[in-house]
Amino acid sequence: MKWRDRDMKTWMVVGGILPLLVLGILAEEAWSAKVACLDCHRDESLSKEDARGKKVSLFVSEAGFKNSVHGKVSCSDCHTKITDDSHAEGGKKAAERRVDCESCHDKAEKEYKQGLHSKMIMKGTERAANCFDCHGKHNILPSKNPRSMTHVSNIDKTCNRCHADLEFVKEHALGAAIPKEEFKKSVHGMTGEITCTNCHGSHNLRSLIDPKSTIFRSNIPQTCGSCHPDITNQFTEGIHGVLAARGRSDAPTCTTCHGFHGIKAKVDPDSPVHERRIAMTTCPQCHAAERISKEYRLTTAPVKSYYDSFHGLSYQGGDTFSANCASCHGVHDIRPSSDPKSMIHKDNLQKTCGSCHPGASENFSLGKMHVLASITGDEIGDKIVGWVKIIYIILIVMVIGGLTLFNFTDWLRKTVDRAH
Amino acid sequence: MKKYLRMTLNERAQHLNLAINFTILVITGFALSFPKAFWVSPITDVPTGMTIRGFLHRLCGVATVFLGGYHILYCAFTKRGRGIIKDMIPGLKDAVDLWETLKNNLFINRPAKTLKMPRFNFREKLEYLGLIWGTLVMTVTGFILWFEVEWLKYFPKWTFDVARTIHFYEAILATLTIIVWHFYSVIFNPDIYPMSWAWITGDLTEHEMEEEHGLELERIRAEEKGKLVEFGEAAAVGGGRVIPLLHTDEEKKGSSLRRLFTTIKDFNETIKNWKGM
Repeated sequence: MKWRDRDMKTWMVVGGILPLLVLGILAEEAWSAKVACLDCHRDESLSKEDARGKKVSLFVSEAGFKNSVHGKVSCSDCHTKITDDSHAEGGKKAAERRVDCESCHDKAEKEYKQGLHSKMIMKGTERAANCFDCHGKHNILPSKNPRSMTHVSNIDKTCNRCHADLEFVKEHALGAAIPKEEFKKSVHGMTGEITCTNCHGSHNLRSLIDPKSTIFRSNIPQTCGSCHPDITNQFTEGIHGVLAARGRSDAPTCTTCHGFHGIKAKVDPDSPVHERRIAMTTCPQCHAAERISKEYRLTTAPVKSYYDSFHGLSYQGGDTFSANCASCHGVHDIRPSSDPKSMIHKDNLQKTCGSCHPGASENFSLGKMHVLASITGDEIGDKIVGWVKIIYIILIVMVIGGLTLFNFTDWLRKTVDRAH
Repeated sequence: MKKYLRMTLNERAQHLNLAINFTILVITGFALSFPKAFWVSPITDVPTGMTIRGFLHRLCGVATVFLGGYHILYCAFTKRGRGIIKDMIPGLKDAVDLWETLKNNLFINRPAKTLKMPRFNFREKLEYLGLIWGTLVMTVTGFILWFEVEWLKYFPKWTFDVARTIHFYEAILATLTIIVWHFYSVIFNPDIYPMSWAWITGDLTEHEMEEEHGLELERIRAEEKGKLVEFGEAAAVGGGRVIPLLHTDEEKKGSSLRRLFTTIKDFNETIKNWKGM
């Protein structure tokens, strides 16, 4: 081998390696910051004390970070300024701001700032959710990744980290509401596709009392309507929907009858709208309530008289062929009898009755339903029924009383005779 | 011990039929009125229990109506039946019997008067009339409730409500009457307790006849005496036995109604004289 050749070869080798080296140095430059940080922060025991003397871990999992959606981002892109003496010594700039997602995710941040969690933080609540509470810190994964904290299958677990914690719920006066188990067994929870955020919203999740909230009373029909539009259309035309839209706090919305987190299919016996419960609890919760019936000039007579009627009695015994409230009044689009579209409007009654009583005549539908027999009744029929009742009660008391008395004397005499 | 026929097998069958139907009617009826009562749970716990209940109630109602119809035919077309009706008509004597019994019971009559009562005493007449009344009322109102579509073609709804009210209160009245009156007569009466067996065996003892139907006992005794006189010669011819000629061929002729009459009469006669297998 000639020296020259060797000389040439060396240069060739150097010329070949150099571009790689330059590239490597450039790459190393980007990674070096991380390496520098991770040199210390891959230590699992690394921690500091915060202002209140609480221990805070400073460990960062290298693998977790590398695989995260931010794996290509440098530490200092988020940790722009670190207010710490030890970092100041190492030449890092001291500053006042903590990690700020807004610099990239300005839209989400804007929404978040209108939501309940950010408002609670501004009020000084310690455990209100920040970005990283739901999305994670160094290990953030895109929400389409099944392992992400914000993947549809994991959102309930993410929320439940705080909202299924009894201490947390108590501390923040959330009532005793722990929707975890309820929701899991609900018809929505069972699908695996519907989760907390579908109704509550995500970044801009608002308080129950915020009129812009998806779960504010008057907005509930619209919230449910995002998946059940036909039913919401029916509901908003009915008397309940009209009153609810006007902000009547007594007017029922979807949740009044169906429940909240634990909504069940109507065929489930536990569902509040199961056919065996409609006339027992669902409608009477308001229509047999003194407060509401007074306010709206309704009476509790319909419920009471229903329970006295054949329909109501058989229904109470579990007869599901017997008419319940919804059989005659409708379900979502219940309308007052004065509304020509109402099932109980006088022009429609014959059809309504006829759906169970084939051949029901016009005369059939003319009679007064919800009769409470009373001698002081409104109509002649009520009065007659009331009188028949009274006459029969007197008759029973007199006849049975007389027979009992006669038999008692007979028994007494025979017993006395036997004793002698 | 001499026994006196009280109920033929036919009548006992009618009584048993009524007792079973009445009991089922009472249970299935009040199960509707008090669906939350503890004793209704066997009905309400069964799926479609209330539907079965309604069906059973109507079935037994119809059975009772048919039984009533049969009873009318029985009373019209048999000699015994006509006798029952004749003896069942209430008279002044029944009012007197009732009044005197009450006076006996309250120690107003001292010493107590011995009352001789006819084949059906005032207790039984009262109950039989009550039964007829109750069956009529329950049948009429029951059919109104059953065929509400047809009824409400011609009558206002409040008449239906009246029928419902009557059906309910009459049921209470009937049930209480059976418990208070009938069960006292045949069970809880200290002379009868633990039970009058007439509804199973069909006869009363001489003692029971004396207590409850003294007049009838006297009549029967007189009749038997008369028979002995009447059949004095025949007894000698037949070796002391009287063989009755049940019917002649002439009776079998005539209209279809007449033949039905004869059939029922024969049927009853056969049952009455049935001595077992």
